[in-house]
Amino acid sequence: MKFSNRYIFLYISVLIIIIAGVLAVVSLTLRPRHEENRKGEKAAQILSAAGYGTLKAADAVALFDSVAAPLTGSDSERYTILCADGDTGQVFHVHGKGLWGPIWGYVVLASDANTVKGVSFSHKSETPGLGAKIEEESFAKSFEGKKLHDMNGDFVSIALTAKGKGDGRDEANRVDAISGATITSKGVEKMLYDGLKEVVE
Amino acid sequence: MRKYLEPISKNNPIIAQTLGVCPALAVTAQLKPAVVMAIAVTVVCAFSNFIISLIRNTIPPRIRIVVQLLVVSFFVILVDQFLQAFFYEMSKLLSVFVGLIITNCIIMGRLEAYALSHKPLPSLLDGLFNGLGYGLVLVTVGTVREILGQGTLWGCPVFGNGFYTLGYMNNGLMVLPPMALILVGCLIWIKNARQS
Repeated sequence: MKFSNRYIFLYISVLIIIIAGVLAVVSLTLRPRHEENRKGEKAAQILSAAGYGTLKAADAVALFDSVAAPLTGSDSERYTILCADGDTGQVFHVHGKGLWGPIWGYVVLASDANTVKGVSFSHKSETPGLGAKIEEESFAKSFEGKKLHDMNGDFVSIALTAKGKGDGRDEANRVDAISGATITSKGVEKMLYDGLKEVVE
Repeated sequence: MRKYLEPISKNNPIIAQTLGVCPALAVTAQLKPAVVMAIAVTVVCAFSNFIISLIRNTIPPRIRIVVQLLVVSFFVILVDQFLQAFFYEMSKLLSVFVGLIITNCIIMGRLEAYALSHKPLPSLLDGLFNGLGYGLVLVTVGTVREILGQGTLWGCPVFGNGFYTLGYMNNGLMVLPPMALILVGCLIWIKNARQS
């Protein structure tokens, strides 16, 4: 069968309009659920940094609304939060680059703006078993109680150095890097430094 | 019926035609994403085969690839939206690989080779079984990788703690994509050995 140019043009136009129309409807219908999911994920991540453990997204949103309140007057995401241990902390959002893609996380600081109460990190596409370990609780735990300032009160952030090697840093200003994931570890270090420098000063 | 069952083993998209290997490496570190990916590909393959076959006589040959792509992307976006809404964790795990189903050559291959020249119902079955054949390999590789790489299956531990105290260790290499390639290679080897 021979098809005229006119037919081809009309055919493809109609097809595109139908497909785009249906997809637009689907996307609009599902959008509230997508947003809810993202909100739940974020709430769960912040709560895990504040010591509440791992929560389901639905529970996380409810708990988050009851313990956290957004801080006004800042352009980046900041919250005050009642931590699991009863102290009040401040939540800061940090983001940076890993080896393969973006990494981000939340840091909960105690009211002295120096002591880390907890962190939780997440990543887009770090290597499973290596860089992806930044998501694990055991890694996040190693940040608890660390200080952002050294003994002289200067901002030094927290460095990730090879196990047992302090590079002259105080134990309170470093954690063990993930072996085999140097670039992701350095990424976390830089993300913390850049993200926390401005908020602390 | 026999003909439809061919893609399950004899003419399997991955181990006979070596198509769609890239996502097979990426999503098979654990069983769960492998199963979800298998379902997604099966759904997209079956329905796009069906739709293309329904409209096959109206498609101008000069733009048939464009039309096929449109139909495939339509179903892939539907699946992606659905996963994001109802299986959010899973959609994060699969990340870009759901979207990349659009470029999966198994699907385009079936549209070109089958749906354009067959009736809708046979096309639907052809798509279904090709998807299942693909999924079977994903699930097999995913099972082996999860058990040996992380000591779990569907997220549940399979080895007791005693096993680890005896000195057993999870194989870190299994978690990485190259090992999936080797496993797929082994499957191809087994298949060829059985058929020769």
